[in-house]
Amino acid sequence: MMDLEPVIGIEIHVQLDTNTKAWCNCELKVNGFENHYVCEVCSAQPGTLPVVNKQAINYAVMLGLATNCNINKTSFYDRKNYFYPDLPKGYQITQFKTPICEDGVVEILKADASSTKKIRLERIQLEEDTGKSTHHGDYSLINLNRAGTPLVEIVTKPDFSNAKEVTNFLKKVHAILVYLGVSKGNLQDGNMRCDVNLSLKEAGSTVLGTRTEVKNLNSYRSVEKAIEHEMKRQAEILNSGKKVLQQTLLFDVETNSNKVLRTKTDADDYRYFPEPDLMPLLVSDNQIHKIKENLPELPDVKMKRFVSEFSIPLYDAEVLCSDKDLANYFEKSCNLAGKNYKKISNWIMSELLKYVNEAKANINKIKLTPSHLVDLVALVESGEISGKIAKEIFVKVYDTGKLASDIVKEEGLKQNSNTDELEALVEKLINENPKEAEELKSGRDRMMGFFVGQVMKSTGGKANPKLTTELVKKLLSL
Amino acid sequence: MNELDTIYKAHLALKEKKISSFELTSEHLKVAKENKNNSFVSVLEDAALEESKIKDEEISKTGAKSFLHGIPYNLKDLFITKNIRTTAGSKILYNYIPPYDGATSLNLKKSGAVLVGKVGCDEFGMGSSNENTIFGPVQHPLNKDFLPGGSSGGSAVSVLEGASLFSIGTDTGGSVRLPANFCGLVGFKPTYGRVSRFGQIAYGSSLDQAAPFAKTPLDIAMIMDHLSTNDELDSTQAPIGNMNSAKKILENKENSLNMTVGYDPSMIDACREDVKENLQASIKDLKSKGVKFKEITLPHLKYSIAVYYVIATSEASSNLARFDGIHYGLSVRESADLEETYKASRSIGFGDEVKRRVLLGTFCLSSGYADEYYKTACKVRRLIYNDFQNAFKECDYIYSPVCATTAFEKNKISTPLEMYMNDLYTIPVNLAGLPSIALPYGKSSMNQMPTGFQLIANSFKDEELLLDSHKIFEVLK
Repeated sequence: MMDLEPVIGIEIHVQLDTNTKAWCNCELKVNGFENHYVCEVCSAQPGTLPVVNKQAINYAVMLGLATNCNINKTSFYDRKNYFYPDLPKGYQITQFKTPICEDGVVEILKADASSTKKIRLERIQLEEDTGKSTHHGDYSLINLNRAGTPLVEIVTKPDFSNAKEVTNFLKKVHAILVYLGVSKGNLQDGNMRCDVNLSLKEAGSTVLGTRTEVKNLNSYRSVEKAIEHEMKRQAEILNSGKKVLQQTLLFDVETNSNKVLRTKTDADDYRYFPEPDLMPLLVSDNQIHKIKENLPELPDVKMKRFVSEFSIPLYDAEVLCSDKDLANYFEKSCNLAGKNYKKISNWIMSELLKYVNEAKANINKIKLTPSHLVDLVALVESGEISGKIAKEIFVKVYDTGKLASDIVKEEGLKQNSNTDELEALVEKLINENPKEAEELKSGRDRMMGFFVGQVMKSTGGKANPKLTTELVKKLLSL
Repeated sequence: MNELDTIYKAHLALKEKKISSFELTSEHLKVAKENKNNSFVSVLEDAALEESKIKDEEISKTGAKSFLHGIPYNLKDLFITKNIRTTAGSKILYNYIPPYDGATSLNLKKSGAVLVGKVGCDEFGMGSSNENTIFGPVQHPLNKDFLPGGSSGGSAVSVLEGASLFSIGTDTGGSVRLPANFCGLVGFKPTYGRVSRFGQIAYGSSLDQAAPFAKTPLDIAMIMDHLSTNDELDSTQAPIGNMNSAKKILENKENSLNMTVGYDPSMIDACREDVKENLQASIKDLKSKGVKFKEITLPHLKYSIAVYYVIATSEASSNLARFDGIHYGLSVRESADLEETYKASRSIGFGDEVKRRVLLGTFCLSSGYADEYYKTACKVRRLIYNDFQNAFKECDYIYSPVCATTAFEKNKISTPLEMYMNDLYTIPVNLAGLPSIALPYGKSSMNQMPTGFQLIANSFKDEELLLDSHKIFEVLK
């Protein structure tokens, strides 16, 4: 068995969320009534010509700046020629030789979340989407609503070492896209599509193996499964002394495996040449400067700011900043509270996200607002309610939108910190359970849980657990 | 009627109410319908007559709004016309009715001109004889044994035979200047980027320009003033606004031919004897009228044919990919197999010359060959452009033959290459993107067919070229 390690690079196609299509004024309504959002240009009637969408160019520059790319002040459009029914022109307008953005870097969290890693971007190029073919037994249908949708293709260097890094990268790119507002960037909706290029090489060697390309990955889970499967598949081939073929594979969600779509041959010749219907794409310093000035705070910057400003761990910051709205929710909560930042982060990451994700709710529209959260956290931190009660109240606040402090008053859920009352309870318990008391005294610390648990039970969870523990220790002279 | 043989004369007659647009249109329609020379693909009789009546009302109410108001014209069938069949001379578009109007059609609609029909051409503009078309060759009105030249042969013939006062063709490698020369007309290829290509079925995108035929440079100026409208739908058009050349010509009082014209004597020497005689006579004539001639050299022009047939066919191979039998046009679906549908539709839909050029272009762009052919051709194209730029340091215009021969006889040209050589003098102009006007001068002593020359100007000197061409045309008359 050879010691093999993977070399993984990816290509991401992102649909830009522009008002109109890439070369014409058609509205972008991919899911609208079939073939309704189509004109003479995007249906490639004879004699038509493309006109560039300035918004798409601005979006590409924004993305380029956000991913630390060099912006080429002069880039070019090329034609990629191939025949397919959902490509009515018979060629795709893309950027082959000189793309608008090159040499970028995106920082991601490593698989174990211990530290970060830089993924290099080779290029970001402007291009267009095709129409959509659907196959129905003995006939196929074409819908051109999507034809001519502006796309950017992001091509990375082969910098990934495992599947987790790839999904961390995809999540980061998704976050950047949403922060910038240039795309919805969802894998499952097809407005972000990812192809994985993967090969295996002998550990430590610089000689690369033959790579395959896996397509049809429309969830983070699919991406991970496909990579894991492909690593296994190629390792088996190599370990049996055979050769990996340069193939395009399709990921099958049903079986979590990759199926060969086609074997690449020399016949794949796209006959690229400069698009004669478009002028070179010029981006001025002034334009770049203006776009730069108006860029929103990006996930990485926000993350680092959260770490330093709110003293939360890198991992928390990464999770919180993966979603712009979530990050805003956290920051608002922290600003309201002025303290307890890590506690706020914990409550968001463990409880809030659980309910929000379950309900697929929009965090901006839930009843439990940042002020509700701050109120709840303050009650816990001041010792007024126990953590256990707090979790119960949390659900009520989430469902009703009432303040936790009001619920505590109404239902008398205030934590019992009355020393005399609790001491009497503890004393009674020790007397009733001499065996357990003896065990605790002889060093079985686990028994502390028994006494505190019993006190909690008899007080309906209201007893202050810290105080209870101290009282047990005191009465047993520990 | 015969005395109203130019746009300007007809315009004055309309203005002075000596004739109506209806009468003018009817007379031209009569010739178009007769179609003696097979120049028309579609004659739009009812629509044209209806339009002419509207123009008459407009003119009687507010006067002619432009020189073209009420003037009958036609378009090469390569121009997209909304709801009017547009075939490109090809079987693959035989029944194609466009859902939109191209820039040329719209601009001329706005000018008030009356469209009498669509005229024949070589399929997709590929040819120099007007024989490569499903509608059959267009005949030369002056002699049935001769061909009018192509690819805009129908346009030239329609103007010469009196079926329209002007026509718009397309000039990718000489397709307007060559037939204009063969028919004794004026043909003008504007600077690349002066006229919108939107709605002009593409052949070689970096070379194609809409180009008018008429009988005088003044008429050409009147047309160009409307064709040169800014069009944001063509990104390769220079947004420098309409020309205003007709007015300038009419108001001009300075008639001296104070200009320096460069020419390469070897280009003239290479022409057939009868053509050479007339070219030399024209130079002598022009010199006697005060034009200064200066010898220049254009060393890279000898590569023009090779460069052109690589670049134009490469672009064509991609431009014609949309005719795939799927979305519109001829679709041969004998097999359920997609690739078979492509093959059958394109094999039956395209003629031999189109197939030849698509194959040639596909080859030139193929990986492993693109560097040798397409990229080399682009580099040499630049050298040709530089040759012209160097020449224009020494002269205002360049004088050149349009073709080494006159119109050629039917069935006399046997190989494609021999046909390609006819464009030797016109092609360099397209490669360099320059404006050029073909002007008639004399008749051949050999076959009595028209001869002439072209004057080439530097980029965007279209207006100056038309102004001076008008002066030259007048003194040579």
